[in-house]
Amino acid sequence: MFDTLQYLMAGFAAAMTPTNLMFAFIGCFLGTLIGVLPGIGPAAGTAILIPLTFQLDATGAIIMLSAIYYGAMYGGTITSVLINVPGEAASVITCLDGHAMAKKGRAGAALGIAAIGSFIGGLVATVLLVVVATPLSRLALSFGPPEFFALMIVGLVLVTSLAGNSLIAGVLMTVTGLLISLIGLDPVRGAPRFTFGIPELFDGFGFIPVVMGLFGVGEILATAEKPYREVIKTSLSGLIPSRDEWRRSMGAIWRGTGIGFFLGLIPGVGAIIPTFMSYIIEKRLSKHPEQFGTGVIEGVAGPETANNSYANGAMVPLLTLGIPSSPTIAVLMGAFIINGLTPGPLLFQERPDLVWAVIASFFIGNVLLLILNLPLVGLWAKILEIPYQYICAGTLLFCMIGAYSINQSIFDLWVMLGCGVIGYLLRKLNFPLAPLVLGLILGPQIEKSMRTSLEMSAGDFSIFVTRPLSACLLALSVAILVFAAMQLAPKEIRDPNAD
Amino acid sequence: MRRGWFVTAGAFLVLFAGTIYLSSKLPLLDALGPGPGFFPLILALLGAVLAVAMIVQLVREPEAPTGAPDPAAEAFMPDGGAMFRMIGIVVLLAAAFAVLDPLGYRLTALFFITLMLLVLGVRNYLAIGLVALALSFGVFHSFYYWLKVPLPIGEFGL
Repeated sequence: MFDTLQYLMAGFAAAMTPTNLMFAFIGCFLGTLIGVLPGIGPAAGTAILIPLTFQLDATGAIIMLSAIYYGAMYGGTITSVLINVPGEAASVITCLDGHAMAKKGRAGAALGIAAIGSFIGGLVATVLLVVVATPLSRLALSFGPPEFFALMIVGLVLVTSLAGNSLIAGVLMTVTGLLISLIGLDPVRGAPRFTFGIPELFDGFGFIPVVMGLFGVGEILATAEKPYREVIKTSLSGLIPSRDEWRRSMGAIWRGTGIGFFLGLIPGVGAIIPTFMSYIIEKRLSKHPEQFGTGVIEGVAGPETANNSYANGAMVPLLTLGIPSSPTIAVLMGAFIINGLTPGPLLFQERPDLVWAVIASFFIGNVLLLILNLPLVGLWAKILEIPYQYICAGTLLFCMIGAYSINQSIFDLWVMLGCGVIGYLLRKLNFPLAPLVLGLILGPQIEKSMRTSLEMSAGDFSIFVTRPLSACLLALSVAILVFAAMQLAPKEIRDPNAD
Repeated sequence: MRRGWFVTAGAFLVLFAGTIYLSSKLPLLDALGPGPGFFPLILALLGAVLAVAMIVQLVREPEAPTGAPDPAAEAFMPDGGAMFRMIGIVVLLAAAFAVLDPLGYRLTALFFITLMLLVLGVRNYLAIGLVALALSFGVFHSFYYWLKVPLPIGEFGL
C-alpha cells in the first residue's frame, strides 16, 4: 500500500504540471462539448479528437483523451435534461426525471445534482481504483496465455449477452468483429489473410475509422432522419438543490457510486446498465415510486452518479487486465496502442510514471468537471441552440480529419463511410454494435493467446480446461451464455422497443 | 423490418460462407500448432451456424395478419425529406473523399460544407459562407500549423 501511495504522489506531481493540467482541462471541456452535442457519442467523439494528441507526449495524450471520455459521460446529461435527447446512451434514463424537472422549472437543480453526484461518484470510484489497481495487476501478472484467452472470452461473452435483445444477433456481431480483426498479416506467422492483394489491407482495417464510421457517421445518418428538438427555455439560476432535494439525493448518490464502480469492474457491462440499475433500485426504495418519471430528483442523482462512477471503475479492467469494457474504452485502448503502449498488468511495471499520472489526473479531472459544469451550464445550454445542421456538417468534417490523419490514408476514409452506412442499417435493425467493436479490438489478442496456448500444449485443447483459473473462467462464460439464452429465448428477436 | 432481418441474415451467411472457403485455403495446422486459417475457420463456421439459426427463427416466427399495417416496417424507411438528407450526406462524403487528394483539404472542405449545409436545408447564405470558410481555411490553419496534424495539400497548393 505504501508503494501505491508513493506512486500516486509521483503521479500527482506529473499530472499537476501546467501542461498536463491544461490537457486535462481541454479534455474535460471538449468531452463535455461532445456529450452536449446531439448526434455524436463518446466513442466517436473520443476517436475524432485523437489527432489533437499527435503532438503530445504519451502521458499528456492519454490524460487528455481520458478527460474527453469522462467529460463526455457527464455532458450527455445536459441534453437529457434540456431537450429530452440523451447526448450518449448512458444518459437515456436521465431523460425521464431530468426533463420532467426542466418542464417544472427545476432544470438548474437537476443539472446541479447531476454535476455534484458525478463529482462524488467519480472521486470515490477513483479512490477505489487506486486501492484495487496494484493487487489486480499483480494477480494478472501470474496469468499465462490460456488464462488471458479465457478472460477475454468472458469479456466478449458478457458484452454479447448484455448488449441487445437477441443473443444470436449479439454473437453474430461479436464473430463479425473478430473476423474483421483477422484481416491483414497473421500475428504469429506473418502470413497475409483476406487481403485480396490490396496493400492497404496488409495492416488490417484501422480501428479508429471503423469506430468513427459505426458511431460517428452512422449516428449522424440516424439523427438526420429525426426532427430537430427544441431546447427548453428555463431558469438555470437555481443550480444548488434545495435542502429537501439534498436530503433525498444523498442516499441515491452513495448507492449510485457503489453500483457504478462495481459494474464498471465487470468487462462488458457497458454504461447503460449501471444507470438503469441505479434508477430501478431508487424506485424500489422510494416511498413514492409512482412519482418516478414526473421529475423526482433521486431519478437524476442516482443514475448520473452511477454513470460517472462507472466511467472511472471501467478503467480498472483496461489498466490492469488490458480488457476494454465498452466501445469508448476500446477507443482509449486504441489511443494507448497508437502511443506505443499496451494496457495491462505489464504497463504498471514498465510505465508506472504514466499509469499513475493518468490515475492522478482522474482526481483532477473530476474537480475540473465540477468547476466547468456548474458555472458554465448556461454556456452548454446556449451551445444546444446551435442549429443541428451546422453541428452535423462540422462533425462529419472532423470525422474526415480524424480518420484521414491517423495514417494519411484515403482508404481509411472509405472504410469509415462503409462502416457508417452499415452501422446505420444495423442500428435500424436493432443489431448491437458494441460486441462488434470489442471483437474488433480484442480479436488479435484472443487469437494470439489461443495459438500461443496451443503451441504450449503441442496442439492439445485440454490446456484450457486443465489449468484451474482458465477452466473456471471458461465455465463462467458458458454459464453466462446459457443464462442469457434462457433469459432471451422467449422474446422475439426483433422488438424495436427492446433497447 | 422482417425483410431487413432476412436480408441481413442472408448477407451474414454469404460472408461467413466466403470466409470458410478462404480460410480453408490457408494452412489450418502447422508444426507449431494452429495455422493462420484455423481461428478464422472456427469463427466463420460458428457465424454460419448462427446465421442459419437466425433465418430458421425468422421463418418460424408468426407473420403479421395479411393487410394489417406493420408499424415496424413503416418506421424502418425514413420519409422523403429524411431520405434525401441521408443520401445527400453519403454522396457528399463520397465525393469529398474522391477529390480530397487532388483538391486538398481546404478546397474540399469549402465545397463540402457549403453543399452539405444546403442539402441539410440551411438557406442563410451568409452563415453558410462564414461557416464554410471557418471550417475549411480556419480548421486547416489550426490543425496543420498549430496541432501539426497532417492534412492533404492539393495540386493547387491548397
